[in-house]
Amino acid sequence: MIPFDLQEPASLAEAIALLDPDDPSVRPVAGGTALMLMMKAGLFQPTRLISLRRLEGDLRRVHVDEHGDLHLGALVPLSKLELSPLVAEHAPAVSETCRTLSNVRVRNVATLGGHVAHGDPHMDLPPLLIALGARARAVGPRGERWIDAADLFVGYYQTALERDELLAEIVIPAPSPDSSAAYVKFTALSADDWPAVGVAAAVRRREGVILDAVLAVSAATEKPIRLAAAEAAIRGKSTSSGSFDEAAEAAAHEVEPLADIRGSTAYKREMVRVHVRRALIKASHS
Amino acid sequence: MSTHVDAPAPVERKAPTTTQIGRSIPRLESRAKVTGEAEYIHNLRLPGMLYGKIFRSTVPHGRIVRIDTRAAKELPGVFAVITGEDVRALIPDPYYGPAFHDQPVLAIDKVRYVGEPVAVALSEDPHIAEHAANLIEAEYEDLPAVFDEVEAAAATQVFVHDALRPAGMFPDLKHLHGRTKTNVALDFTLRRNDVEQGFAQADYVFEHVFRTPTVAHTALEPIVSVAEPRGPQALTIHTSSQSPSFVRSEVARLLGWPENRVRVRTAFLGGGFGAKLYIKLEAMVAVLALMVKRPVKISLTMEEQFYTITKHATTVHLKTGVTKAGKITARQCEAWWNGGAYADIGPRVTQKSGFTAAGPYDIENVALNSYAVYTNLPPAGALRGFGIPQLVWAYESHTDLIARELEIDPLEFRRANILRDGRPQATGTIMHDIATVEVLDALSSAMRWGESFDRGKGSIRRGHGIAIGFKACIAPTTSGAIVNLYGDGSCAVYCGTVDMGQGSDTVMAQIAAEVLGLDPQSVSVIHPDTDVTPYDMATLGSRSTFHMGNAVRLAALEAREKLFAIAGKALEADPSLLTVADNGVSAPSGRRLSIADVIKSTFLMQAGNIIGTGSFRPTYTSPSQGDGQSDDITPFWMVGAVGAEVEVDTETGRVRVTRLVNVADVGTPINPGIVTRQLNGGALMQLGFTMSEAVRFDNGQAVNASLADYKIPGILDIPDQTLAKIVAGCQSTGPFGAKGVGETGTFAVSPAIANAVHDAVGVRIFDLPLTPETVYRALRAAQHNPLEDQQ
Ligand SMILES: Cc1cc2nc3c(=O)[nH]c(=O)nc-3n(C[C@H](O)[C@H](O)[C@H](O)COP(=O)(O)OP(=O)(O)OC[C@H]3O[C@@H](n4cnc5c(N)ncnc54)[C@H](O)[C@@H]3O)c2cc1C
Repeated sequence: MIPFDLQEPASLAEAIALLDPDDPSVRPVAGGTALMLMMKAGLFQPTRLISLRRLEGDLRRVHVDEHGDLHLGALVPLSKLELSPLVAEHAPAVSETCRTLSNVRVRNVATLGGHVAHGDPHMDLPPLLIALGARARAVGPRGERWIDAADLFVGYYQTALERDELLAEIVIPAPSPDSSAAYVKFTALSADDWPAVGVAAAVRRREGVILDAVLAVSAATEKPIRLAAAEAAIRGKSTSSGSFDEAAEAAAHEVEPLADIRGSTAYKREMVRVHVRRALIKASHS
Repeated sequence: MSTHVDAPAPVERKAPTTTQIGRSIPRLESRAKVTGEAEYIHNLRLPGMLYGKIFRSTVPHGRIVRIDTRAAKELPGVFAVITGEDVRALIPDPYYGPAFHDQPVLAIDKVRYVGEPVAVALSEDPHIAEHAANLIEAEYEDLPAVFDEVEAAAATQVFVHDALRPAGMFPDLKHLHGRTKTNVALDFTLRRNDVEQGFAQADYVFEHVFRTPTVAHTALEPIVSVAEPRGPQALTIHTSSQSPSFVRSEVARLLGWPENRVRVRTAFLGGGFGAKLYIKLEAMVAVLALMVKRPVKISLTMEEQFYTITKHATTVHLKTGVTKAGKITARQCEAWWNGGAYADIGPRVTQKSGFTAAGPYDIENVALNSYAVYTNLPPAGALRGFGIPQLVWAYESHTDLIARELEIDPLEFRRANILRDGRPQATGTIMHDIATVEVLDALSSAMRWGESFDRGKGSIRRGHGIAIGFKACIAPTTSGAIVNLYGDGSCAVYCGTVDMGQGSDTVMAQIAAEVLGLDPQSVSVIHPDTDVTPYDMATLGSRSTFHMGNAVRLAALEAREKLFAIAGKALEADPSLLTVADNGVSAPSGRRLSIADVIKSTFLMQAGNIIGTGSFRPTYTSPSQGDGQSDDITPFWMVGAVGAEVEVDTETGRVRVTRLVNVADVGTPINPGIVTRQLNGGALMQLGFTMSEAVRFDNGQAVNASLADYKIPGILDIPDQTLAKIVAGCQSTGPFGAKGVGETGTFAVSPAIANAVHDAVGVRIFDLPLTPETVYRALRAAQHNPLEDQQ
């Protein structure tokens, strides 16, 4: 590793001021778990890292506002999401997902902001955040803006964040009483591996009928994406397994899986099929 | 006087009640490890030390046209940049290796695999060294490359080496010297009776081919070596080595020095598993240190280990004749070992494991061929089992298929053909002290074999399977030890066995303590230092408890004899009637003196030493050229059987091992706790090689050379129940009846799991690992609906 400049600003504004919109070798670092892997592999050589470790306040908070929306600060470690009673109550699928996300050592250090801002398609939470209709608050030199989770992931390791913007928080809207969500993770190597396929489903149902559903897939694909055809296939259908099969079939047709050491394109397509069905079953039984 | 024993040492059958043997005392170094005080070479820093960073080949096979080191040399803080040509200026023939002198310190003329060391940048700052290494550029003229072991063995155009260069050490490799136009480094042949006739006597003949991929050791402490010049004529090497004695001989040979000018020492190793055997970075740091006249340290990253040493990928072809009644009449085996670009110890693996390729069965007619093959992949060497797990994967999958086909219970089929004590193995060596039958019996009861079994439901199907393997301890090898009683009666054991986590310090202390009547926790074990500790062949192949254990026992016996001679006078008793216990010597009269007082009685103050030495070298007959027959092929046999219960998700192909039972013949365990952990540890390591681990290559380039993408088992992959069962046995030639155990837990894991998968879902996997996709594709193929790739 080649030496670089490490800055540890004490406020969000200071941190943003240290970012450089034109220099890709200047980056923020939160837990460092993703960035260090890239640095060790020689894929990223920073000239300057802006550590967020001294930033305090809402960035580290989990709270529910007066509308019932769940606010998750960007610097909240994944282990806190896993264990927080508020998260368990308002977004149980998030707590559950964190339990099989990597291992306890990584979760203690890795932050939600780094997890999302990395734009790595192999992460577990992005499809779930999409399914839950989450929004991200980004702060930059020109102020703040809101980005829907579904619009955040624009390509392979690419997000909608500008180089001089920081993610401040993720907000998960209050769930309606008739909705439920689930995430299913499929690993091809060790159990604590990155997913080979991850599928999230959020369904609204009434009297055995799916009013609407949001389905999102990650890991198998270039970026986390919504499965529009599968969502359409299930809308207005009963919560029987037959209609889940149709959605699964549609999903298998619409995805374009990328082959890697965790599976071939053909295999991942099959796993999308299986796990869309399993995610729907899990969501409609939770 | 030293006690040298050529014949197996007799076991002390009449020894008084043993107090230290069979005790699961805690490891001597536990506290130091937990508190971070334990010494590792990884943490060593010497004054004036330079860090070396290796620049590696990016092509699998190429002629070196140009190496441009200018930019690297100009970087501020760079001390030197060294290439193969510079090395040649110091050592005209800088090629090393335990079996073949084929590996250059740094590439010369050609590179033979992606990742081969080509140059080293040196700096006092490791970051600058790394930066400098990144600035080196090399140009290669691409040569065609070979990657597959079977293709490489048959190649007529592409050769990894121009000529074979066997090292002088092994007489049975000499005939290969100078052989050209071949990638086969060694072809081992074994013939017992007549296989063709055996096939003719059979009612059925079965043939299958099995494969295993390249896998990696991933020791938590990556390979690290430091060379420290002591003037131009002497050198100390601090290294995370499993074989300091070999390092000394080989570095001395390269430099043309007598061995006594090279001192090699180790500390604790953060795992070895065979990766740190023979010679790895030591030649490189030695040469660099002499060139720059400063201490030089090279510590690999986890990633670099994948480019340094791996475990052989294999292709094994088996053919077996069997009667309707289930008696095996003949077995033929051809095994190809993918040795990568440099032989390392591959030819030994090929032969020493090759001769067991027919399995632990009593088979009249056997024909075995085993080929060590050069390819343009990273070198392969020893990895926990020395080739045995690859062979057991093949013969136990094959054996299961035969039993199924004959509709004979797989356990009964094995029992009917098992090689029993007193019967000849394929080499002709008569089996002694081998508890094969007892191991099968214990496996049967641990697995509740034959009782009803829950087969699962829905998309989760359950199955169970078994397998058994065996191994001959490597021969011929030697261990020496010194036991030293100091003036205050405290004791140190000087031995070359490297404690790399297997608990050898504790076991050696127990052995010495047992003989001398001491508390093993009070015995200190001096770590390998070739200036201090006697020769030991290496810490490998489950040999240390047996070989070094015997040497330590002999040394302790000699020290005790000297102690008794002195004590006899002080206690006015016949020395042969004295006994030791609780740090003291007692006479039949009831008189007792502490060991310290016995020593004082002769030195007249707290001074002096009582030194015993021991050297152990078992007998051996090398296999005859051509038919591989020998009447004394090994000092002892190890037997390991595994039972596995699995759940297969038929929709995804994912296999979960829910129960893993390991049954082993370890002779008499000196420390049952350590033995159990070795068995379980070996089994879980092999579980990774079974389920998920494989180094994947793209045109010779490893594409998952890191723990991020090369997945070893995590805590959630561990079976709900992992059991190790020790079958009580006795190795009559072992120290207190013990035999080795470091590898036994690995032998039969893979086929037991594949056999269980077959039992669960009716498909057979021939190639490791059993990834979900592999199993899924097999399931689809069995449904006549194969998964199509072009969609
Ligand atoms: C061994 C291992 C196993 C793993 N397994 C899994 C797994 O199974 N499933 C899974 O989903 N993930 C897995 N991960 C990935 C893990 O989730 C991420 O590494 C982690 O969430 C990143 O968080 P971090 O705080 O460490 O990010 P960092 O490494 O600090 O940063 C990551 C990226 O985000 C940027 N960044 C960080 N914070 C902000 C911010 N507030 N605003 C803008 N940009 C920011 C950084 O510049 C960098 O580009 C694994 C990681 C490791 C090391």
